[in-house]
Amino acid sequence: MARPGTEELRRRNRAALLGQLHRHGPQTRAELTEALGLNRSTIAALASDLAESGHLQETTGRSTGSAGRPSTLVECVPKALAVAAVEIRADRVRFALVGLGGEVLERSEAALASGAEPVSAAAAAAELAGSAGAEAVAAVPGLVDAGIVAHSTELGWAGRDVAADLAAATGREWRVVDTATAAAVGEWSRGDAHEATTLLYLHGGRGLTAGLVVEGRAQRGGSIQLGHIVVEPNGRECACGLRGCLEAEMEAFGYAEDIEEATLAAGMGDAAARDALHRSGEDLGRALGAVVTATGPDEILFGGWLRELYLSAAAPVRSALAGATLPHLRSRLRLRTPVLGDEGALTGAAETGFAALIDRMR
Amino acid sequence: MLLELTGISKRFGPVEVLSDVDLAIDAGEVCALVGDNGAGKSTLVKCVAGIHGIDGGEVRVDGEARHITSPRDAAALGIEIVYQDLALCDNLDVVENLFLGRERRRGLVLDDDAMEQLAAETLSSLAVRTIRNLRQPVASLSGGQRQTVAIAKAVLWNSRLVILDEPTAALGVAQTRQVLELIRRLADQGLAVLYISHNLNDVFAVADRIAALYLGRMAAVLDAADATQSQVVELITSGRSGQLGLTDQNGVRP
Repeated sequence: MARPGTEELRRRNRAALLGQLHRHGPQTRAELTEALGLNRSTIAALASDLAESGHLQETTGRSTGSAGRPSTLVECVPKALAVAAVEIRADRVRFALVGLGGEVLERSEAALASGAEPVSAAAAAAELAGSAGAEAVAAVPGLVDAGIVAHSTELGWAGRDVAADLAAATGREWRVVDTATAAAVGEWSRGDAHEATTLLYLHGGRGLTAGLVVEGRAQRGGSIQLGHIVVEPNGRECACGLRGCLEAEMEAFGYAEDIEEATLAAGMGDAAARDALHRSGEDLGRALGAVVTATGPDEILFGGWLRELYLSAAAPVRSALAGATLPHLRSRLRLRTPVLGDEGALTGAAETGFAALIDRMR
Repeated sequence: MLLELTGISKRFGPVEVLSDVDLAIDAGEVCALVGDNGAGKSTLVKCVAGIHGIDGGEVRVDGEARHITSPRDAAALGIEIVYQDLALCDNLDVVENLFLGRERRRGLVLDDDAMEQLAAETLSSLAVRTIRNLRQPVASLSGGQRQTVAIAKAVLWNSRLVILDEPTAALGVAQTRQVLELIRRLADQGLAVLYISHNLNDVFAVADRIAALYLGRMAAVLDAADATQSQVVELITSGRSGQLGLTDQNGVRP
């Protein structure tokens, strides 16, 4: 095997250094040396290279509390490199311009009429994002594959080339990811879930989808259609054409509108609301059993309105899950709520963009 | 194991409140303690916290036998307890409450800046976003925010085991959710949490293990991953469930 040339090696190391700082925040040169396994003088050379190009700066940093000169910190310059992230929801389009290191530089949103076509969503995204950022990523709820939204219960789209619509509206190239997978990436990289080897993020919007991140990498080929796992053979008719889908059985669209009301009523002792929550929890637990059995995650995050459902109906969710998974699979399984809350998908979309940018520098 | 209780018994006069109770809690886990009224939950935690002495059995911390005879002993071992009634001072602000009785000093004066910074760091490490102003009096906080302050106060002192006695009992639905997430975060940061609750949903939402007391005896300790709601209900109400639970003196399940 040919050894990489000096210039190539240097480029790779530069990308690694930038990636390290982007992900872990300001660090001293000593910490960088240890984290990257590079020579101290190599780090110094790379850092001054990247300082010259404006990507990072050195600051007199934190005092360690002990005597002596405080060590210098190397940190990213957020404005040097930015990613435009857009999240398309049923009722609005949200935009964030995220700088190197994860700082949000700009944020805005626009309302979207219900039942809007991809073209109008793309126009709204173009208005918000303009030409900002070196990379543009859009998160769309549903089954997304190579820029094409194959199916989205939430938006009512099927077989739409959203990447092309966005490109036509803005004159630049877009990556399109599904909301659940984006949120999983966001929680893994900027949330609390980086210790999870296999992270499953459940997204509750007007549809139910799930995204999988394995060792920090998004699973390719689209999200898991959690809402269309059949939990009740010959059950209620679902908009997708099947019968007894989780979404149909839970009447999930109702929850998307009024989960607060439902959990509040149940909390106040409304027996009907409590029964409904309980049944929904059981259905969710059963469907999750199938997903856990198929994917073997070690952490599940309940996002969107599923957070409220889980925290209000954890007993039926876990009871049903315990009855639908192998002991080996459930014994190491952590069930959590996301720390980034509503920001997960935007954060994850931005991180997806940064991963591509840093990959390209190699 | 961080805390191991073996054969704990406690009498109030002729009444045996706890009899031969075993329980172990490790760092990084939430152990929920459930049981009907009068099952002995509060007595058990008061024994651990040094408020009641024990009449029999052994308390081990890090494998070493310890005699906890006062709340001070418990605090020295890193055991903090948050009571239902919170014990916060309404007229003091958030920072003052967090450091009450253990103020930082610089020379003769209080080191307000250091205390405020430490308070802010503690709250942000717990991902608390609901309290914006650390200098606002506790009287102006909502129930959920007060509970958050009370829990943060317990965490601030390098505590290793936090005991929470019905922390969500007086809270609304949305506030309960926040406190549940906070409890989970405490354990995920490496603390041991002993959590008493009547609400099985709350228990299932955060617990790694569920310990059920029945009339002063430990009916069973279950992994939350294996437990079902009906099992736990049976353990609480009758002390047994299928193969689990208490037996009578002859080893027969009553």
